Amino acid sequence: MDSEFEGQFLATVGRWGLALAALVAILLLSAVPLDISGFAGVRPFFTLMAVYYWSIISAAPPLAVFAFGLVLDFLSGYPPGMTALLLVAAQAVTAHNRKFLLGQSFLVIWAGFAVVALAAGVVQWLLFSLLDLAPVPPVPPLISVALSALLFPLSVLPLAGVYRMLVNRPEPP
Amino acid sequence: MADRNISGDFLVPHLRSQKPTIKSMPLKTVTVRATPPVLILLSLTLMILHRAGTLPVERLRAAVMDVTAPVLSAVSAPVAAFVDNISSVASFENLKAENARLKAENARLQKWYEAALELKAENESFRQLLNVKADPAMSFVTARVVSDAGGAFVKSVLLPVGARDHVQKNSAVLSGQGLVGRVIEVGEDASRVLLITDLNSDIPVIVQGTRIKGILAGKNENLMKLERLPPDSGMTVGTQVVTSGDGGQLPPGLPVGTIVSAGPQGVWVKPLSDLARLEYVQVVHAAITPALSSGDIAPVAASPADGQ
Repeated sequence: MDSEFEGQFLATVGRWGLALAALVAILLLSAVPLDISGFAGVRPFFTLMAVYYWSIISAAPPLAVFAFGLVLDFLSGYPPGMTALLLVAAQAVTAHNRKFLLGQSFLVIWAGFAVVALAAGVVQWLLFSLLDLAPVPPVPPLISVALSALLFPLSVLPLAGVYRMLVNRPEPP
Repeated sequence: MADRNISGDFLVPHLRSQKPTIKSMPLKTVTVRATPPVLILLSLTLMILHRAGTLPVERLRAAVMDVTAPVLSAVSAPVAAFVDNISSVASFENLKAENARLKAENARLQKWYEAALELKAENESFRQLLNVKADPAMSFVTARVVSDAGGAFVKSVLLPVGARDHVQKNSAVLSGQGLVGRVIEVGEDASRVLLITDLNSDIPVIVQGTRIKGILAGKNENLMKLERLPPDSGMTVGTQVVTSGDGGQLPPGLPVGTIVSAGPQGVWVKPLSDLARLEYVQVVHAAITPALSSGDIAPVAASPADGQ
């Protein structure tokens, strides 16, 4: 009985560790300089990919998404609430359509993400333009949206791997 | 449609048969439904308050920077090394051409070095003759850029040096080539640099070789626009632009960029450094002496456009 408890405890710790590692990895992907000329200006929305994906496969807590967005805002020098708003909204919209999306092929889910990314880019552009009281250049965010849509399947592969490890509990001996 | 099932199943597992790990409760469902609108409203409020300047977030921001900078610092070094290795393997073929180019550049720079020595001696003798008080020597702290998370809307980078390393708000930040930005937020061990290309960056500058002053405004693009010029000030493409020191925030004479186009669309300036791939930068410590910030050009600036 004891050893079973211990095994479960270890598995839980492992799962949380893995989830945390995935979170840190996303944070790093969104922040670490990649030394590719011009990349920083059109960095894809990696966090949005993760939030979209996780909102489909399991219910991500909005408060955690909000907090993560706020940390990213502080880290990237955005007005506080900008990324938080986008992530929470994206999560709410995705969660609302979760039942539909779950039964669909990957292509439909991919297209769904492209729509979410485009909407996020447009909303962000509008908010920044409103805050700056003048339209900000629209081309870099559009490239960001296109890159996000293109890279979505690649980014989802490791996320899917992590998810599988998270849900597949070790077989009892 | 077998293919569709394989990829679809792996990437988005069908969960209906799986047991939920957390049992949902009615109260929880209600809270979950109500939270997103509340959080969205909260985000909007935060943004508006921040825009109005009534939100004292600087300390919180600094705290987040202090916590994340060491993590980012630890991770960004191997990432940079990895990317460097890839690009060095890719550029292996170009070694011969690169070598020839460097040799030619070396020969050219040698001439410049001799010219600089001559000018330095001449300058010193003139200074002695005129009894000019010399500019205070600038001291620096060098740091590696650990984050450039701004994306498409904000051009800023994070440095793992802060108040503990005597970094101050508004300190100038330089790369090997010239000015890249100024410090806008300082934590204990981290600071944020607003790059000169950011929409909120306005640098008072002077066009080298002339007495024409202007404001170099970032546009969130690769080029910056030279604004508030006196009417009919003819600009030559290729001329260098240096800080004027007006406003007392930045030391005078730091090279910033080169004029790349001048016409009806305005005067556009290209930064001297590749701001999209900054690695190491220097934060200037020196306090600015007001007596020296009135347009004198410090000896740091050397323009290939002048001379010869």
